[in-house]
Amino acid sequence: MSRSHLFSLALLLTAAGIGTPATAAPPNVGDRHPDFTLSGIADGKPVALSDFRGKKVLLIQFASW
Amino acid sequence: MPVWHDTTKQWVKDGKLVLLGVTQEQHPERCRLFAQWKHFGWPILRDPINVLGSNAVPIVLALDEYGIVRSTRPNPKTFEADFLGKSFADDATNKPETPTPSYPPKFDALKAACANAKSASACRRFGDALALWGGDEQLSPALAAYREAVTLDPKDGASWFRLGVCLRRRSETSARERDDFRSAVEAWGAALELDPNQYIWRRRIEQYGPRLDKPYPFYDWVADAETAVRKRGESPVTLPVRPDGSEIARPSKSFATRIEVPKNPDPRGKINRDIGSVSCEVVVVPAAVKPGQSARVHLTFRPAPKTSDHWNNDAEPLRVWIDPPDGVTVSERLVVADKSKLATSSEDRTIGFEVQIPKDASGTLRVPVYALYHLCNDAGGECRFLRLDASVDLRVK
Repeated sequence: MSRSHLFSLALLLTAAGIGTPATAAPPNVGDRHPDFTLSGIADGKPVALSDFRGKKVLLIQFASW
Repeated sequence: MPVWHDTTKQWVKDGKLVLLGVTQEQHPERCRLFAQWKHFGWPILRDPINVLGSNAVPIVLALDEYGIVRSTRPNPKTFEADFLGKSFADDATNKPETPTPSYPPKFDALKAACANAKSASACRRFGDALALWGGDEQLSPALAAYREAVTLDPKDGASWFRLGVCLRRRSETSARERDDFRSAVEAWGAALELDPNQYIWRRRIEQYGPRLDKPYPFYDWVADAETAVRKRGESPVTLPVRPDGSEIARPSKSFATRIEVPKNPDPRGKINRDIGSVSCEVVVVPAAVKPGQSARVHLTFRPAPKTSDHWNNDAEPLRVWIDPPDGVTVSERLVVADKSKLATSSEDRTIGFEVQIPKDASGTLRVPVYALYHLCNDAGGECRFLRLDASVDLRVK
């Protein structure tokens, strides 16, 4: 499979629902953060990072332990 | 996170900033209780399978209006001057937007991609969609997708980890299959072998592991949180799976054993054996132990489904006697399980203890154990005092 076909497949799969990598270092300063959609702990509703486009966001990954 | 919550409270209220959390834990509802306790009013998203691919927590990123990362280590003291008060331009035009993942996911397209592409990443993505959006009823198909992924690429650590997450989840449902928890620990171990620096994966094993390996007690705060929330006149968030045993055990710097050795309750094996009324599931965490190191043993006793056998809670509770071979140290020899306040019940009974293996150990060490319990049966109204023999196999790395 050529590089362009692989890229197309990745885009297709992303659009199909899951577009995040298996493992990744945090994005670097100056990078656009990859979009993602996850459900809220309070109501289970889907929330995308891009829902907050136009606002400054402090994104915190954490655990309660 | 309380620091960022306090620092940003007014800015969030004024609409100058969005605080967005993502919780990286097996049971996200526990984070919901934590948020209730700490008055976090901002949105928190669940990522139990680490679909964001992070290798540690906490990770704090400041993103501007265009979604561009402006700081990977913001300082609460200088946050306003360094970020909030600044204007930014969309200067990442050479880095295009990634498409927004669709919701709901296109399950059929993802399934077809897994089947047709025959690639681990395609099958992992199908598993991710099922695990994140399919609910408990899609756990078995998610497991099948992840198993296909690790078959196609045994070095796909993320699929091994997510396989473990879903196995543990299923073990906590009525659809559990025998050895789900043990298989989860095996899968997490396989993931960590591939990337020992992946701390999200490491923490998941440590959550259920021995005290010597624990960086902190994980969920000892739950009882305090519930008490504090009740004192405020609120009802605490209900936890479908309550943390106990290893999940609330405090870390230890040395292997702790009880000095007094209790009396073996059935040294000659005279108590009648249980034949098929109760099963015992044995899980060792980690799945393979290095010589000289320790492991946590989880024993779950489960009355056979589709029978009317149940625990007799008017009698003394289930006890487990542990008989380690020479050289193997155990934290206690006799462990007593908690029992229900009801007169009879048929829930799983889980006990835990820790073992330390000798520095010169190799192969597999076998630790015999037996349980004693009172069991009644509705059909005949018969109550029996029974013994169930089992063994704990410690695989040495």
